Amino acid sequence: MDVTGLGKTYKVPVREAGLKAALKSLVRREHREVHAVSDLSFSIERGEMVGFLGPNGAGKTTTLKMLSGLLHPSSGQARVLGYEPYRRDRNFLAQITLVMGNRNQLQWDLPVVDSFEMNRAIFGIARPDFEATRDELIDLLEIGHLVTKPVRNLSLGERMKAEICGSLLHRPQVLFLDEPTIGLDVTMQKRIRTFLAEYNARYGATVMLTSHYMADVTALCKRVIVIHHGKLLYDGPLSELAERFETSKTIGVTLAEPDRDLSGYGEVVAVDGARVTLRVSRAEASTVAARLLADLQPTDLTIEDPPIDDVIERVFATPDEPGSAQPTGKQRG
Amino acid sequence: MTTTPPSTHGLARPEQVRRRDVVRTLVGVSALNELQYRVNFFLQLFQSLVALATAIAVVALVFLYTPTLGGWEPWELMVVVGVHTALGGVIRSVIQPSMQLLMEDIREGKLDFALTKPVDAQLLVSLRRITVWPLVDVVVGFGVVVVASTRIDSATVPGALLALVAVLLGAVMIYCLWLVITTGAFWIVRMEHVAELFNGLYQAGRWPIGLFPGWLRLLFTVLVPLALAVTLPSEALTGRAGLLAVGGATLFTAALVAFTRWFWRLGVKSYAGASA
Repeated sequence: MDVTGLGKTYKVPVREAGLKAALKSLVRREHREVHAVSDLSFSIERGEMVGFLGPNGAGKTTTLKMLSGLLHPSSGQARVLGYEPYRRDRNFLAQITLVMGNRNQLQWDLPVVDSFEMNRAIFGIARPDFEATRDELIDLLEIGHLVTKPVRNLSLGERMKAEICGSLLHRPQVLFLDEPTIGLDVTMQKRIRTFLAEYNARYGATVMLTSHYMADVTALCKRVIVIHHGKLLYDGPLSELAERFETSKTIGVTLAEPDRDLSGYGEVVAVDGARVTLRVSRAEASTVAARLLADLQPTDLTIEDPPIDDVIERVFATPDEPGSAQPTGKQRG
Repeated sequence: MTTTPPSTHGLARPEQVRRRDVVRTLVGVSALNELQYRVNFFLQLFQSLVALATAIAVVALVFLYTPTLGGWEPWELMVVVGVHTALGGVIRSVIQPSMQLLMEDIREGKLDFALTKPVDAQLLVSLRRITVWPLVDVVVGFGVVVVASTRIDSATVPGALLALVAVLLGAVMIYCLWLVITTGAFWIVRMEHVAELFNGLYQAGRWPIGLFPGWLRLLFTVLVPLALAVTLPSEALTGRAGLLAVGGATLFTAALVAFTRWFWRLGVKSYAGASA
């Protein structure tokens, strides 16, 4: 998958509030250009699982829609499996899948298996292949007892598993997953995660995943692409994300004698009995740790990056100025 | 850069075979599911018979005061009633349900899924929901036409064959009309009342088109070919319209199909360009 300078600009009508403005807009409509995505470049190797991160409205869905052929890019070029997605070549569409967590594509009133049957016909899957894949997926997702029920009778999590099963019957090579675990409980999220990892390992499929749950991303993706205000902010290993954007580290110390004031060493984030958590700047982390060890002889001391959720929050807090964005140029493939 | 050929898993069969399989599966799946609700059959039968009785009563009422209506005799008008009932059944069973689903999907942005499938999207959206029970109307309407035509001297076998062709053309015309209106949902979001508007207009098709004043005749023929769809088969059966008229309708239908296809594609293009 190769994306070069991809951009999407929407033209949206604008008018001020009030009746007068409404009437005026009937006669002469003013438009404003909204750059949902601009100058996005990256490439993804076959079989890679990439987390696609960004706050709401960052342009994630727009990008996924361009890559799956639903939207015509305003600028730049995308190539997926060698095809230009917007042409919607049947051979291209037969090898991809798009799953959106907040929308369902199974037939609401029909039993799940009937929707699967429709997909068999639509994708032209040979009957024996279809049955083998279907049974395998049903087994992996543990939905054997659900598939004869109408979709409307399923819970959100059950429906999502059925959705994912239905979207993979044609064994797509490329999976675009937009919030596949949204609204699901932790157990269900975990099960879907395990399944996706299994699918990726089994079929070598490329996966591009957006999720608000960082646990999804940390469990599945070694690499993340972060966009903000439609622009590329970071592309590289998940593990280096903290290094680039996080200016602090967390030091946890377990003291031999509790109730000591450590505010002289750094910002005290939490105190839990003898366990104290400090936030210190990255550059000073090792010096502070050495001082703590020398001064207090703690029974335990750890230096960690802050939780990934905090890192992400910090990344998105980056002001939207051209100079502040730091695309890494670390593009592989 | 070379394109990757599809895996052997999907698209294992040629386009034509796949298309037929899609049609068969979509129809089969919806039909089988609805057949489970047997009570709907009796409800529909009851509804059809009441509607038919009302239609007959209206026709009988009219002929209490006049021996012919614009040249149409009672049994001839019953042919119009029969065709109207049968086509109405086709509309409510095959055309309208999918179109209403399409309208919802466009509004809620769910059309994405139809557009990311390796099959003609128009075919897919046109056959997604089929309700079988209104087909009772097709049987009832056909019965009325058969009974009525045995009492009409001018009814001939070639006329009946022409009428059959005209009915098919009528169904295609109405499908096109529905799809064109529904495609409007790509630009105009609120289209929910279109079904009622359409059904209101369809009621006008109960009467032979010749009974309407000139401007309405034009409207119902060219712009909203509803009356044409119902009247032409009746005219063919009663010897009022011949090969020429049906040939003309064929050309008109072909043009309408082409226009509908073009308009649908335009809609899809605009959808792809605008949705977020």
